[in-house]
Amino acid sequence: MYGRKACQLVKELASGEKGQLTPYNSDLFDQVIAECSQHHLELQSLIRKMQEEGLDVQTTRSADHYGALIHHLSLVRNKRCLMAYVYNRAETIRSLIWKVGPVLPQEIQEKLSHTEEDYFKKHAGTLQSYMSRLDLDVTVDMVPPKDPYIQVRVLDDIGVVLSDDKTTNFARHSMHFLKRTDAEQFISRGLMEELTG
Amino acid sequence: MASEAGEGSTAGMDDYETLISTTDVELLKKAWRNEKAAPEILRFETSLIQRIRGQIQLMEENIEEFAGSGIDPLTVSLYQMDLDRTQYLFRSYLRIRLQKIEKYMFHISKNPEVQSRLSEQEKGFARRCADDMERHLEESVLSKLPDNYQDTVKQSIISEESDMRFSWF
Repeated sequence: MYGRKACQLVKELASGEKGQLTPYNSDLFDQVIAECSQHHLELQSLIRKMQEEGLDVQTTRSADHYGALIHHLSLVRNKRCLMAYVYNRAETIRSLIWKVGPVLPQEIQEKLSHTEEDYFKKHAGTLQSYMSRLDLDVTVDMVPPKDPYIQVRVLDDIGVVLSDDKTTNFARHSMHFLKRTDAEQFISRGLMEELTG
Repeated sequence: MASEAGEGSTAGMDDYETLISTTDVELLKKAWRNEKAAPEILRFETSLIQRIRGQIQLMEENIEEFAGSGIDPLTVSLYQMDLDRTQYLFRSYLRIRLQKIEKYMFHISKNPEVQSRLSEQEKGFARRCADDMERHLEESVLSKLPDNYQDTVKQSIISEESDMRFSWF
C-alpha cells in the first residue's frame, strides 16, 4: 500500500528513546524516494492521457483525474514523512551540541548521515559565532552552582593541562580540587567524575 | 544574597556593598524566571544585560583583589559564590533564549514582530539557524524529489499557500 514505507520511517522516530538517535536509515529513505519518483511518473502519464483525450485537466473529474490525484497525495504524504524524519533528527542533533559539546564521540557519529554530520558542524559553528560575538561561553555552567570548587576524580588520562595560572597533571585516578567551571568541560565528556559526599 | 560586611569594613567595601545590593540581580532573576516559564521568546532585556555584564566584571576584579589582600578567605568565597550564582543566571537566561530560537526558527524568520524581541546577536543566530536548516532539508530530501515538489514551505507547486507541515508541534 502507498505510504507504508514512509510510515515506517516515522515510526522509527517515534519508537526511539527521546533524545537518542537511531542509525540513519538510508535504505528505507531511498526506497521512499524511489516510490515518490514512481508516483510522479504515473501522475504525469495520467495527465498526459487526459490531455491526449482532449479533456480539461483542471476541471475534468474522470477516473484518470482521481488516479492522478491519489498519486499526487501519496507523493505529498511521503514528502511530509521524509521531511519530518530529517527535521526531527536534526532537532536531536542540535540538542547533542548542548549535551556533549562541539565534538561528537564515535558511537554517535556512526549513526548520522553525511549531510547530518555537515549540519552538526554548521550548527556548532553558528553557536560558536554567536558566543564569540558576545565574548561569552554559554555552554559552561549548565547546572546551578552549589559550591565554587568541587572535588573530581580523573577517569581517563588527560595529561598535563594549562589552566589560568598553573599547570596540573591530570593522571588517571588522581583526585583534584578544581573550580567548577574548569572541571565542567571534562565532566561532560566523561573524562572526570564529580565526587559527592 | 550575601550582604554581610564582616569586621574591618573599608570605604572600598562599602562601595562594593552598594554594588551587590543593587536590584539588578533581582531584575535578572525575574527576567530569567519569566523566560523559563514563557513558551515563546520575550523581549530581550538589553540595558539590564549590559549592566549585569559590567557588574560581573567588576565583581570578578574585586574578588581577585580581595583574595590577594588577605581578607578572610571565608568572606572571599562567599562573594565568589554570589558571583557564581549571578553568572549562572546570566548564562542560563541567554541559553534558554537560544534554545527557543532553535525550536521556532522558521516561525521567527517569518514573523517580524517576534524578531524585534531578539538582540542583534540573536537575530544573526536565528538567521543562520534557519539557513542551515533549509540547506539541510534541501540536501537530504528536497533535491531528491521530483520537480514541483521541491519547495520547503509549500507541499507542491500547485499549493496556494504555505501548507507544508512536517514538525511535531
